[in-house]
Amino acid sequence: MDVYDYKELLPIILLGIAFFVVTIIVLYWSAKKGHLRNFDAQAKTIFTEEEPEGEVSDTFPESRKFSSSRKDRK
Amino acid sequence: MSNESQIVSPSTNPYSSEHASVRAELSEIDASIRTASVFFVVSAIGWLMIGTVFALMAAFKAHEPDFLGAYEFLTFGRVRSAHLNAMALGWGNNIIFAVGLWIMARLCRSPINHKGLLLIAGIFWNVGLTIGIFGILRGDITSVEWLEIPKYATPMLAVSYALISVWGVMAFRFRKGDHVYVSQWYILAALFWFPWLYIVAQAMIIWFPARGVVQSLTNWWFAHNVLGLWLTPMALATIYYLIPKVLGRPIYSYYLSVLGFWALAIFYNWAGVHHLIGGPIPVWLISAGVVASVMMVIPVIVVGLNHHMTVVGLHREVWRSPTLRFIVFGAISYTLVSLLGSAMALRSVNEVTHFTHFTVGHAHHGVYAFFTMVMFGGVYYMMPRLLKREWPSAGLIKIHFWGCAIGITIMVVALQTGGWIQGLQMNNAEIPFLETVQNTIPWLKARSVSGLFLTVGHIAFAVNVFWMLFAAGAVRAKKEPTLLTKEGGVA
Repeated sequence: MDVYDYKELLPIILLGIAFFVVTIIVLYWSAKKGHLRNFDAQAKTIFTEEEPEGEVSDTFPESRKFSSSRKDRK
Repeated sequence: MSNESQIVSPSTNPYSSEHASVRAELSEIDASIRTASVFFVVSAIGWLMIGTVFALMAAFKAHEPDFLGAYEFLTFGRVRSAHLNAMALGWGNNIIFAVGLWIMARLCRSPINHKGLLLIAGIFWNVGLTIGIFGILRGDITSVEWLEIPKYATPMLAVSYALISVWGVMAFRFRKGDHVYVSQWYILAALFWFPWLYIVAQAMIIWFPARGVVQSLTNWWFAHNVLGLWLTPMALATIYYLIPKVLGRPIYSYYLSVLGFWALAIFYNWAGVHHLIGGPIPVWLISAGVVASVMMVIPVIVVGLNHHMTVVGLHREVWRSPTLRFIVFGAISYTLVSLLGSAMALRSVNEVTHFTHFTVGHAHHGVYAFFTMVMFGGVYYMMPRLLKREWPSAGLIKIHFWGCAIGITIMVVALQTGGWIQGLQMNNAEIPFLETVQNTIPWLKARSVSGLFLTVGHIAFAVNVFWMLFAAGAVRAKKEPTLLTKEGGVA
C-alpha cells in the first residue's frame, strides 16, 4: 500500500472518529443530566429493602444444614 | 430542585420510593426474567463443555500432532477455531445475556416483558452458532481470526443478537427513576459497541472486503475490541454490581468508577492496532494504538484501586462468598492482564512477545481468568434468586473454584514463560527455528495439564447447576429470594 494514499483507510478512520464523537456526545448528555455529580449518594442506590446496605448477602451453603434437610426428606 | 437532589430524591428514585407502583420489587423482576436467564445459563454451560472438549483436543494436538490426526474435521485449525467461537460466542455471549440482562433489569427496576420473544431470539442465537460451528468443522471456515464462522450463519447471529439486545435497551429506556448506576453505563455501552464492531468487521472483511492490509487492521480492531468493549464492560458491570451488593457496602469511590468507565470508552477503541506492530500500515496508526494501550493504564488502576478499597477489611466475607471468591479472582486478574497488555503494546516488548505463545496466554488471562471467573461469580449470585433454591453442594463450588483457579494460573504462567523464552530464541538468529519449536513442548504439555484442571472445575459447575435445576427435591425450596447466609436461610 502506498503510504501516501489513505483512501483505503478512510472508512475505518471515519468509523473511529464517529465512535469517538458518539462517546463525547453521550458524556456531554450524562453531564447535563447530572450523572457526574453527587457521587456518594449514587453509590448507595443499588441497596434496597430486600437487599439492604450493611448486610452480607452471600456465603457458602452450609453443608451440615443441607445434609440434615436430605435426612428429613427420607 | 437541583440535579443532585433529583438523582437521589425519594420521589424519583425507585430504589427508595415509598410508592409500590414506582418501586418494582427485586423478586418480581427476577421472576420476569427467570425463564430466559435460566435458558441462557444452560446454553452457556452447554457451550462451555463443548468448548472445553475442543480446547483439550487443540491443546494435545499442539504437542502430539498425530492425536486424532486421521480425521479431517478434527485438524488443529478447525478444532482451535471451533473452540474459540464456542467459548466466545457460545459461553461468553450466552452468559452475558443471562447475567447482563438480569443486572440491567434489576438496576432499571424494570421487569422484562414479552419473555417469549426473548427466548425465541435466544434459541435462534444458539441455532445460528451451532450451524456456524458445524460449518467450521466442515471446512467452511473463513481465514479471519475471531470471525471464522462461515458467511451463511452470520445473518442469523446478527438478527438474534439485535433482538436480544433490544431487551437491555428497552429496560434502560423504561427504567424507573433518573439515576444511572455505573453498571448500567457499562452494559448499555457494550450492547451498542458489540453490534457496531461485528457489523463493521463483517462488512469490511467478509461481505464487501476492503483491499489488502485494511482487512488486517479491521480484523484486529474488531478482535481486540471484542475483549475490551464487549466482554470487559460486561464483566466490570457485574463486578461493580456484585461486590457492593454482597458485602452490603457501597463502592469505595463512585467518582473513580465513572472515571474508569469514560476512560475505557474514550481510549480503548484504538488499542487493537498494536497487534500490527511491524506490519505494513502507516506508523502513526500503530503509534496511536500504542498510546491508547498505554492510556488504558488509567482506567485499569482506577478500577483496581476502587475494587480493592471496597473489600478492604472484609476479606473474610469475600472468602466465605462463592460469588465474591470468583469475582475477586477475576477483578485481580483484570488489573494484572490489563497492565501486562499495556506493556505488550510497547514496541520493545512486542518484538519479543509477537507470534509467540505469550499472546495466547495473555488472551486466556483476559477471557478466562478475568471475564469467565467473574461470570461464574455472577451465576452463583443470580441462580438462587431466580430459582428460589439453595445451591445443592458447597463442595462442588469449591472444586469448581480450585479447579479453575489452579488450571488458569498454570496455563497463564506456562504459556507466558514459555512464550517469552520462545520470543527471545526466535529473535536469536543462531538458534535454529526447529529447536525453538521443540523447546516450547514442555510448556505446551503444562497447558494440557491446566486444561484437565479446568475440565474438572467445569464438570463440577455443570453438575451443581443441573442438580439445582432438575433435582428440585434435593434442594430446599424457598418462598423468598434465597440469600446464601451462614445458616443457609433467608437473610
